[in-house]
Amino acid sequence: MSQVRQYELIYITPPETSEDALGELHQQVEKVVHQFGGNIEKSENWGRRKLAYEIARHREGVYVFDVINGPAALNAELDRRLRVVDTVIRHMIVRVDEELGVAERSRVRRKSAMTSRRVRRGLPPEPTEQEKSRRQEEDDDLDGPEMGFRERGDR
Amino acid sequence: MSDFESRGRGGRSGDKDKDKDKEKGRRTFFRRRRMCKFCVEKIDYIGYKDVKLLAPFIPERGKIQPRRISGVCATHQRALQTAIKRARQIALVPYTTD
Repeated sequence: MSQVRQYELIYITPPETSEDALGELHQQVEKVVHQFGGNIEKSENWGRRKLAYEIARHREGVYVFDVINGPAALNAELDRRLRVVDTVIRHMIVRVDEELGVAERSRVRRKSAMTSRRVRRGLPPEPTEQEKSRRQEEDDDLDGPEMGFRERGDR
Repeated sequence: MSDFESRGRGGRSGDKDKDKDKEKGRRTFFRRRRMCKFCVEKIDYIGYKDVKLLAPFIPERGKIQPRRISGVCATHQRALQTAIKRARQIALVPYTTD
């Protein structure tokens, strides 16, 4: 019995990697995923990006991002394989289903709380356009420099 | 002459000036209570892929901004922390810069 979980896989290849090599890599990943009865939900190529720091003497890299559904064993196997592949200079697999679930629940909870609050006050359950635009104006003056993000020497 | 100069820069008189500035600053500049950015903007999920979202909390040195400075609430600071650490792993955000 293995539970299906959602993972996000990101890997970085050197900037000079050819399209063919990338395609081959993708097929390899796909093969492993299918082997474990999973599926690739989404695959994105972010293209060349500057790396924040040097990895294997590269300053740039091609980022590939996949969303994968599959069992936990898949995660381990994928991790092991990617470690061996030379064309991947860095990779990361993150389990996201739980976090996204938490985010979704809190979004729903807030929404329902807002609706019930508004109904109790005798307002329509959804904010009207007028209210929305007014809130926007109020927000604007909060975004001034006195918000103090990134302030130096404030220890 | 040189002795006097060096004392003037690093020694007592310099400190005195600094103290005065600080005092003055405190009196004239009263900082408003900061609200957690993520609570205000109702951001539920702090993703590691969103560099633009994380950037304001990473000062130029590359460290994670403490929440006593940014005003982020504890819950969101924790989420922010994991997001930044993940972003570092895949080189979207630096570990350090010098």
